[in-house]
Parts: sequence; C-alpha cells; structure tokens
Amino acid sequence: MSASAVFILDVKGKPLISRNYKGDVAMSKIEHFMPLLVQREEEGALAPLLSHGQVHFLWIKHSNLYLVATTSKNANASLVYSFLYKTIETTDSKILQEYITQQSNKLETGKSRVPPTVTNAVSWRSEGIKYKKNEVFIDVIESVNLLVNANGSVLLSEIVGTIKLKVFLSGMPELRLGLNDRVLFELTGRSKNKSVELEDVKFHQCVRLSRFDNDRTISFIPPDGDFELMSYRLSTQVKPLIWIESVIEKFSHSRVEIMVKAKGQFKKQSVANGVEISVPVPSDADSPRFKTSVGSAKYVPERNVVIWSIKSFPGGKEYLMRAHFGLPSVEKEEVEGRPPIGVKFEIPYFTVSGIQVRYMKIIEKSGYQALPWVRYITQSGDYQLRTS
Amino acid sequence: MPYLGSEDVVKELKKALCNPHIQADRLRYRNVIQRVIRYMTQGLDMSGVFMEMVKASATVDIVQKKLVYLYMCTYAPLKPDLALLAINTLCKDCSDPNPMVRGLALRSMCSLRMPGVQEYIQQPILNGLRDKASYVRRVAVLGCAKMHNLHGDSEVDGALVNELYSLLRDQDPIVVVNCLRSLEEILKQEGGVVINKPIAHHLLNRMSKLDQWGQAEVLNFLLRYQPRSEEELFDILNLLDSFLKSSSPGVVMGATKLFLILAKMFPHVQTDVLVRVKGPLLAACSSESRELCFVALCHVRQILHSLPGHFSSHYKKFFCSYSEPHYIKLQKVEVLCELVNDENVQQVLEELRGYCTDVSADFAQAAIFAIGGIARTYTDQCVQILTELLGLRQEHITTVVVQTFRDLVWLCPQCTEAVCQALPGCEENIQDSEGKQALIWLLGVHGERIPNAPYVLEDFVENVKSETFPAVKMELLTALLRLFLSRPAECQDMLGRLLYYCIERPVNSWASDFNTLVPVYGKAHWATISKCQGAERCDPELPKTSSFAASGPLIPEENKERVQELPDSGALMLVPNRQLTADYFEKTWLSLKVAHQQVLPWRGEFHPDTLQMALQVVNIQTIAMSRAGSRPWKAYLSAQDDTGCLFLTELLLEPGNSEMQISVKQNEARTETLNSFISVLETVIGTIEEIKS
Repeated sequence: MSASAVFILDVKGKPLISRNYKGDVAMSKIEHFMPLLVQREEEGALAPLLSHGQVHFLWIKHSNLYLVATTSKNANASLVYSFLYKTIETTDSKILQEYITQQSNKLETGKSRVPPTVTNAVSWRSEGIKYKKNEVFIDVIESVNLLVNANGSVLLSEIVGTIKLKVFLSGMPELRLGLNDRVLFELTGRSKNKSVELEDVKFHQCVRLSRFDNDRTISFIPPDGDFELMSYRLSTQVKPLIWIESVIEKFSHSRVEIMVKAKGQFKKQSVANGVEISVPVPSDADSPRFKTSVGSAKYVPERNVVIWSIKSFPGGKEYLMRAHFGLPSVEKEEVEGRPPIGVKFEIPYFTVSGIQVRYMKIIEKSGYQALPWVRYITQSGDYQLRTS
Repeated sequence: MPYLGSEDVVKELKKALCNPHIQADRLRYRNVIQRVIRYMTQGLDMSGVFMEMVKASATVDIVQKKLVYLYMCTYAPLKPDLALLAINTLCKDCSDPNPMVRGLALRSMCSLRMPGVQEYIQQPILNGLRDKASYVRRVAVLGCAKMHNLHGDSEVDGALVNELYSLLRDQDPIVVVNCLRSLEEILKQEGGVVINKPIAHHLLNRMSKLDQWGQAEVLNFLLRYQPRSEEELFDILNLLDSFLKSSSPGVVMGATKLFLILAKMFPHVQTDVLVRVKGPLLAACSSESRELCFVALCHVRQILHSLPGHFSSHYKKFFCSYSEPHYIKLQKVEVLCELVNDENVQQVLEELRGYCTDVSADFAQAAIFAIGGIARTYTDQCVQILTELLGLRQEHITTVVVQTFRDLVWLCPQCTEAVCQALPGCEENIQDSEGKQALIWLLGVHGERIPNAPYVLEDFVENVKSETFPAVKMELLTALLRLFLSRPAECQDMLGRLLYYCIERPVNSWASDFNTLVPVYGKAHWATISKCQGAERCDPELPKTSSFAASGPLIPEENKERVQELPDSGALMLVPNRQLTADYFEKTWLSLKVAHQQVLPWRGEFHPDTLQMALQVVNIQTIAMSRAGSRPWKAYLSAQDDTGCLFLTELLLEPGNSEMQISVKQNEARTETLNSFISVLETVIGTIEEIKS
C-alpha cells in the first residue's frame, strides 16, 4: 500500500472529499499542502512531489481540483500517480460534481442491486446486455506530434495512434481484430503486403496479452460502450503534414509585420479540415490588419495570438497570410517569451502510418450478425514550430 | 467543530429523520440522509443525529446503508459510546445473505477507529476470512491489519497470521494481494511478510491474473526473495519478462527494479534490462501525465549516472516544449547535459543555447549551468557559446556565465585564456553576490592576463562601503592581495584603502571592551599580554606604547597577523620595556660588540613615523631617529625579551645607496634569540618596503 490517504482539494486547498486508507498519517497534515505548494511556486521550485517533515504529498491537478495522495513511506511514485489519474478517469468530473454540489443532489437510484462485476470473471462487462441492432464502431486516430526549430529543422516527429471502440453488442461477444501489423505479416509470410511496424503497443485490460505475445492476435471481450482498445507509437520520420514558414518582423515602437505561408504536404486526394494556425504576437500589439489568400484571420488578444482558420485545406496547396500590428511607442518593461506557432488540423480517411483494419470478427453464442464500422482520422497532437 | 447555525440544521434534520412519514417513503428518507452527509462533508457537526442515523441503517436499501455507514465511520471516533449502539446493526449485517451487505458492514466496522471495537470485530473478521464471497474475503483480509493496528501493541496473533498465509492461495487475485498487504502491516516489527520459495513461485504464477496495482505490489514483495540457483533466477526473469512492457508505468518500474536487484551478480543482464526498458521509459517521458513524465525523467537521470550515453541517440526526446512546466524542463536540461556525445553535441548545444534566452530566468540559468557542465568535455564550443551570451548584457545571464567560468577554469585550465578575454565588461551586468564573488575571484587569480583587472577591482574597492554582501568583501580582499603580488604598482594604493576600510572597526566590535584595559593597551597588544601573563608583570604606572589598532593605516591586515604570530612561533618573546634613556642606551651600545650585521634592500623615501609605529607593534622602541629625508639617515632601536636580554640596533641609510644597513648588539650572547630578533626586524622593514613600492 503506497498511499496512506487520498484527498480531493478545491483550488484554495480546502478538502472536498478525502479517504483515509491506512490511518498512519494524520488527516490534518493536508493543511500543510497548500501553503507548501504556494511557497514552492513562488520559489520557482514546484514539483509534483512535496514533502513536509515525514509526510510526502504526491499531487496532480485536474481542471481546478487538486488530487493529493499522502504517504510516509518510500512509495512507488509511478504507481501513485497512475492511481490518481485513474481516479480522474473512473470518477468523471461530472460525477464528482454531483457529490460536491452545494444545491440539491441526486444519486442514481437504479443501481441498488449488487453490481455483478464485483464477483464476475469478466470484471469489465456485465452479463445480460441487449441491443436491437448489434454494431461496433472502430475509430483509428493518429495524432502527430511535431517540434520544428526556428531554422526549420525537424527536432521531433512522432505519431501516437489509438484505436477507440464504441461497442453496441448483446451478450458476451468474443472479438478479434486484424491489423496490417508487420510482425504478424512476417510471422505468416506475407511480408510483401503493405504493413506497419508498431512500437510501444499498449492494450486495454480486456485484451488477452498472452495471445498477442504468441501469435499477435488481438482477441478480447469488450466492455460495453466507449473505450480505448489500444495505443501505439511510431517514431519513423514523416514529412510534416502541414508545413509553416513564417517571417515575423518586429519594428520596435512602431509595428509588427507577420507573413505566414502554410503548405499541405499530404496526398492531393485528402483534405485537412478545421485547420487553425495560431501565430504569436507581442502582448502590447494593437490595430490588427490581415490579408489572407484563403480562410479568415482573427486576433485573440487574451492569448496574444492571431488565429488563421482554414475550413478545408487540400493536400499540395499553399496559402499565405499577412498580418500587420501597431506597437505602442512606449515599450513595456518585461521581457516576453517566444511562443511557438501552433497548428491544429484533422484529416479524415487517412492515417500517416498506413495502418489498416483488415477485419473485425465478432462471435457470440447466440450467433447474431454484427456490423463493424471503421473510420480513420489523422489529427494534430502537440504540433509546434518555433519562431526566431 | 461546530459551525455557526448548525444547531438549527441539526434540529431540523433530526425531526425529518424521526418523521414516520418520511421513514415510510424510501426516496424521501434517503434524501434526508444525503443532506446529512452533505453537511458533514462541508464541515458541519452532524454528530447530533447519530442515534437517528443508527436507526436508519436498518434498511434493505443498500445505498442508504452505505451512506449511513460512511456517516458512522466519520463520527465514531468522536462519539465512541454512541457508536457502540451501531455495532449491533453492523454485526447483524455481517451475516446478511447478500455478500455486498456483509462486505460493506465488515468494512465499515473495521473503519470505526475507536477504542474497544476490537473485541466486536474479531469474530466477524474471522468469519469473513472463510466467507464464500470473494468480496467479503477481500474486506476481511484487510480488516485483519486494521484490527492489529487498533490493538496498538506489537503482539502478533500467530493463528491469524497463519490463516492469512494460507489465504495467499485464495483463488481471488485481489484476496491474494490484500493478504500480502495485511501481513506486511501486521508483521511490520519482524520485517514484514516472508516470501519463501513456494510463496514466490505461487505469486509468480498468479501475476498475470492480477490487476496493475496488484502486479506492482507483488513485484515489490518479490524483491525479498532470493532465488536459490542461477537457473531459478533466469526462470523468474523469463516469467516476468512481459511486465517490462506493461502498459502501466508503475508495473514497468516495479519490474525493472526487480530485474536489476535479482540480477545484481550479472551486470550484463542488468544492462540488457535497461536497454529493454528504454522504450517504455522514453514513452513515459513523453507521457501526457506531467507527473509520470517527471518521475520517468528522474529515473532516466539515475540510469544515465551508471550508463552515460544510454539515451544518447534519443536526445531529441528531451528537448523542451514551450508549454511544459518548469520542473520538467529543468529535468530535461539535466538529462541533456548528461547524454551528450560526439555525435549530438552540436545539436544539444544549439538547443540549450536557445533556452539560455528563455523568459524564465531560472530556466535560462539552468541551461547555462548545463552548458557549463558540457564544457568540461567540449570546452571550446561551450566557452564560445558562453562568451556570446555575455554579449547580451543581461544581468541574470552574465552572473551565471561568470560563475560557470569560475568553475570551469579550475577543471579545464586550457580555457583560461579564452575566459580572460571574455571577462572585460561583464562587471557592469552583475549585481548579485554569487556573480560578484565569481568575477572577483577570476580577476584576482588570473588578473595578470586581464589588462584592466586592477581597475575593475578598484571600482569594487570604491564601492566597498555600500557593498551589502560580506562574502563579496572577503573575496575582494583575497583577490586584491593576490593581484597585488603579480601587479603591485597598480594595486598598492587601493589595497591600502581597502585595508584601511577593513581595519576601521564599527562601534559594536569594540563596545564590549569599552572601559576595560583593552583600549588602554590596544587590542593586539592586550592579546599578547594576556598570553604571556605570568612571564612578566607590567607596571601599570609605566607610560604605555601607543596602540597599533587605533591608527596605523598602512599596515596590511595580513602582515599585521604575521607580526603578531611571531611571539608564538619563535622562541623569542619581546616584552614592552621601560623606556631606556638615551644616555643608558649610548653607554651600553658603546660597551658592546656588534653581534650581527646585514643589509636589506631599500629604495626611495619613507615615513620614519610609519616605521616607528610598526616597530612599536612588535615591542621595539625607537630611541632616536634622523629627520625624514636627511642623508645619511640613522635610527637607534632597543628591545628586550622576556628573559631580560637586551637587543640594541642601528639602522643606517647611506646617501645614494639603495640598501639599509642593520647592526645589532646583544648584552647576552644567545644566537637563537638573536636570529629570531633579526627575522622580526626584517619582517617589519620588509613590510614597510612593500607598502612603499
């Protein structure tokens, strides 16, 4: 047992809910947490682990709540943090709010029967689920993380893929998912086909890991509804999907001139939707003027950025945006950082890695027919291009 | 703690809870109970309705039961006598046909945390251990640990422990892990649960059935098991192999630790393990959870200490992103500093240089220190970057760069030349203590290579009065004296001024000595006297030699100390003596032979008063002296040691001669004391000569 107690605190450090597991750390110790946090923050030495005497606080922040675990032991830190995140995952903030609300609150009344999952062999799925129409929706989503230096060299480029399932199936179905996994293809001697080498694959607990290790079969009994079946990573270098070239010229005391060129470096048939390019501007800039070859530009003063939005951006195209800002003649004292240019986009029907769902087999005792639906999306993750 | 207005609320809720109409309506009844719980979590004292709540626990509605139990666990320590009333209901629920109710009741009962509850919970726990529902067994097993804690003594119930050990074979994986947890608590005094071969193998076989929390903990318990043979060891490692790639970072870390510790006799296996967890660790380093990312980075640094270069090819993973929190950036900079090698040094330095101009001063400084760390291996490139940074003329950057330089010239003397060239001008951009100290140190030690070093130090001397940091003053004194040795002409004057400043004492330093003998004798003098007390008593009526500390502006601090130390180091102990009359001196001088004669180098003019004063410090009296500037110049000195031996001296400066001739006569021929006397005299004259030049 790593944590002695777990607290949920509001933004001022007042405990909202707490649970004392072991009773070996006094619950009043939590009063030291907030002052310590504030003190460390002022010193610029904030870290996810704070200590007060014998007591260690391992904490995370979720929107405006602090989740704090106290321990007096030399605990496994990764485990405690995972647990705190799991707490957020399982107790969605909406559910938590129901308990904390100041006004009347309602508790679901339907669950007074013993949840069968407590004693079930398959803890993530209860028996007796029924649907009129049996369907599975498979979303293959790939996020592109990119970091480009001010001089245009790519520092980091990686793809984080997830396969999400939305399951509307009756009974206890047995599912098998087939991917164009390179290791599998090599095992079965189909190495000529187009395949993808997946790294760092992680599965939902429902997947039988032993089978995957033996013959790369992904077989499982799914939970009901939404869940993330697996995630993977690809660190092979790919051409940045949307390439940005920017010139930001700052003439002190008078104006800033910005020129941004965006180029779609993906297949001509594909289209990137909802492209948003946010370009940093000085916080004291005023009187914006824009000129764009496509889409619209908007100044967002509270974030100190210009957001250039392009609804649909076909592959191979190149667009231009110019912006002009005035600067006050009296320069402000404090130095500003150099935030990067950020890009958001979504390209449907396309995966950077080329991963494909080859089949999804659904077997249930009652032998019903079920339909799998597959959707592919590539989207921007942490997509940043530094400015000089 | 009672809340303002809580009384009315309690009264109202009490009434509602007693209302038979509400009790009859399940939903309304539960609603009232929920309000009680809500006030309780908000800090209102709801213990007033304890009785009513106990009654409310007798219900078939499991949600209501759970709420009431939660209430009881909160107030039981405050109201132990009332809580006893609840025990009955709880005991009854422990034999409810519904396993959920049994478990819940048992769990609540164990959490009551009030004195005397042990005797009531013992039987339900023992029953719970043999319950057919796994949920009840899980609760009962943990209850054993709670019961042990409540007992408060270290007495261990052997039968219970045996029962728990046998439950390690339970078919429910959570019961197994809970058993381990429970045993660990109960056997804390004896070093925790014992993992022998059958238990270890059993746990290993159950590993895949456990959830990630259980796996992480079992891995931790397995650390206690020492495999008997090499074969067994590798079997275990093979069995646990897949956990190195688990999707839970806690399990990965736990498995890694187990591998590293089990394979402590096989360094190649350890290295192999670290290579294999590289992927998961790197993935954790770019985890969405900043905290997990932080923990992973801390571990990466630890691995790098033993395996430098282990992550070198992945250096780009440790580049900082704009929005990352501070603590992650600082860790990443440390990692970058440690994984640098010939191939990536260019890119890493380029990246670090970008950080040096970050808005956050702390982060910028960390980056500069990191470059300083890399400079120990890649000196030239780093010194060049650091020099360029000085050009930015930013205070927070300059100070850290200069500190880095100071540390660097120690370790890499070959870069001294480049550092010296970079230094001029940076004094304008340093305000803090650390930076000033570093700069002054560099100027003092390597001042001979920096043309304007004396003038920079002169500025510091000028402003020494307004200098707030004592450490800077100390550094300045040392540095200036060092530089004085290599560049005396430029430093003499300001060294004098600095020393004058240093010697001038604030009131507090002498206030305690006020109105004692100390100011009469002078502090230095008093120290000598109090040391040689008993050797010779001083006649209080005698005219006193004037104190040195009160004046003597030109005697450097260092030399003063040296002079004072002489009485301790040599056998000679000069004592302040009755002033010899000129007649007596002349008679004695003429009657004695010259015992020693030597010449000392002597150039130019000097103040006879200075010499006289300096001599007085060491208890040498001046009997007669020519006027300043007269040629030939002569002086007659006398001194007496503690044995009464007289030393008579003549100093002679011939016109046009750059030497001073010294002749010493002694009334008792003793060569050791004579030599000591001459060395004292030499020191004094040498000091005067040094100050002069």
